[in-house]
Amino acid sequence: MRTPRTTIGRKLVTAMMLTSTAVLVLAGVVFVAHDFAISRRAMVQALVTRAHILAANSTAALAFQNPDDATQVLHALGTDPTMTAAALYDGQGQPFATYPASAKPGTVPARPMATGYRFERSRLAVSEPIVEEGRRLGTIYLESDLRVLDQRLKADAIVVLIAVFGSITLAFALASWLQRGIAHPILALAEVARTVSEGKDYSVRSRAVGDDEVGVLSEAFDQMLGEIQRRESEIRLLNADLERRVNERTAELEASNKELEAFSYSVSHDLRAPLRHIDGFVELLTKHAFASLDEKAQGHLTKISAAAKQMGALIDDLLAFSRVGRTEMRKTSVNLASMTADVIQELRDDAKGRLVEWKVEELPTVQGDPSMLRLVLVNLLANALKYSGPTKEARIEVGARAQNGEIVVSVRDNGVGFDPAYAHKLFGVFQRLHASKEFEGTGIGLANVRRIVNRHGGRTWAEGAIQQGATFYFSLPR
Amino acid sequence: MVLARRASCLALLLLLAAAPSWAGAKLTHEYDLKATFLFHFAQFVQWPPEALPEKNTPLTIGILGEDPFGKSLDEIVANESVGGHKLRVRRFQRVSQADSCHILFISSSEMGRMGEVLSHVNRRSILTVGETKDFAQRSGIIGFIVAEKRLRLAVNLAAANAARLTISSKLLRQSEIVGPVRVQE
Repeated sequence: MRTPRTTIGRKLVTAMMLTSTAVLVLAGVVFVAHDFAISRRAMVQALVTRAHILAANSTAALAFQNPDDATQVLHALGTDPTMTAAALYDGQGQPFATYPASAKPGTVPARPMATGYRFERSRLAVSEPIVEEGRRLGTIYLESDLRVLDQRLKADAIVVLIAVFGSITLAFALASWLQRGIAHPILALAEVARTVSEGKDYSVRSRAVGDDEVGVLSEAFDQMLGEIQRRESEIRLLNADLERRVNERTAELEASNKELEAFSYSVSHDLRAPLRHIDGFVELLTKHAFASLDEKAQGHLTKISAAAKQMGALIDDLLAFSRVGRTEMRKTSVNLASMTADVIQELRDDAKGRLVEWKVEELPTVQGDPSMLRLVLVNLLANALKYSGPTKEARIEVGARAQNGEIVVSVRDNGVGFDPAYAHKLFGVFQRLHASKEFEGTGIGLANVRRIVNRHGGRTWAEGAIQQGATFYFSLPR
Repeated sequence: MVLARRASCLALLLLLAAAPSWAGAKLTHEYDLKATFLFHFAQFVQWPPEALPEKNTPLTIGILGEDPFGKSLDEIVANESVGGHKLRVRRFQRVSQADSCHILFISSSEMGRMGEVLSHVNRRSILTVGETKDFAQRSGIIGFIVAEKRLRLAVNLAAANAARLTISSKLLRQSEIVGPVRVQE
């Protein structure tokens, strides 16, 4: 089970924080914008009111052409540092008095501004008519810097920042606290899932309570676990039952197999005594009365003798086959090369008068029972020699190669070969693909080979075609 | 017509306001300025109700003696009104004719008969305007002073009170307050 990259708690907190921060920032922006607009309006209102007051106070100064008094009226503005400039214009729009009194030209407009207010980059200018008894005497112009607005904006920004950060802190605390209610049941569920997945323990239960979907999920998960646990125990019971039955059957089979083997052994063994009698008496009969018998009887006697000998060989082979299945294996290192050389030496007598080319490749040393492996080599090489009998220039090759963790030994001849359709029958007891008339044999040799190789943990198989020769393989684990 | 007149009047003021045109101790267009002042007095002085008993009672500016204004005063007050009262200009040769005046300009031609004139209008609600500071000090109410190329005012508050006239503080701010006490100075 992979480790999660993040936690659900962190995700929840992030979501809540993003939401609250966005809302707070938006609210802050709206508040500041609104307050800014209101402050602007208030500032304009204040400046217009001030202009009206100053206008009322300067009517007589204008009426009686007294710029000194007008300058004095404007001089009162000196108490407010935000007032940057002011001017009075007479009825003709000529500057009459200015503030500061010694204002440089260009500080105030040369001609009166149109009635109303105007915001410029860093100042607010207001122009109002001066009227007495319904008669316009002139115009007043006031100019203020935006210090008040700036200060207000700064104060607002600080308030908003404090509020936003305070709220964010509070939101974080709340979010951290609230997410537990959501995340804990999920975390508990995840922990249970991990326990189940890692420990294969289906007996645990999440038991998470909750009135939401997580609660439903948890309940469903618990039910699922219960179901899995029930089925698992069922399967376990079935498996145990199956194993018990297999063991029973195997034991039964082994018992009957042993019985059968013991039976065939004793039958073979017991058959030898009467057969020896037959053979012995046929031999005596031949020695004493062969010459006195007519030709036909002589033929019969010869056939009886041959049959008895063949039957003897059969019984010997059966006993050997039976022994192969029953004797204990004694595994040691076996040098296949020297063993093959010995076997070939033994077989050379059988091949007298034939042209046989033996070709033995490099062979390894393997682990196995020496007498059994020798039997394998004898059987395979003898077979190769036997079935290459009709071939003028017989060639028998022995090779070995390592492959997939086993050693595969091959014995190839260029003899009569076999029909691949019957390849599977080659290694069965008494299975023969050629008539005994053609080739001698009991049909037990290859069965023995298979049995021995199987007992070593290897396999046997063969390739070939009619009149194309045959290759027999056996493998041994390394 | 009104606009044209007003425009010409403003043009006049414009000329007066231009400092270089005031040459020497004497004011050029002095009487144009004085005419404007006379008009403005109507705005900054309040008469007792019995002086202007009805809404449509005209507010009369009288000129006693030789008229130094020519047409300018007539042009300034033409079609003007103060507090709903229309303004009009009357010219008198004798003070006995001027009883119904609200503002009375006493020309310098009447200097010799000043005592008679002032005693006649005494206790009437008439704003008397004279050509000198001395005029105000001698129980006239407002006297013109020409000083430093400017036209200034001297106001005798005691005389104004006696005439039951209320002079706006705004006007007083522009004026020098004088009184009979200071005659000896």
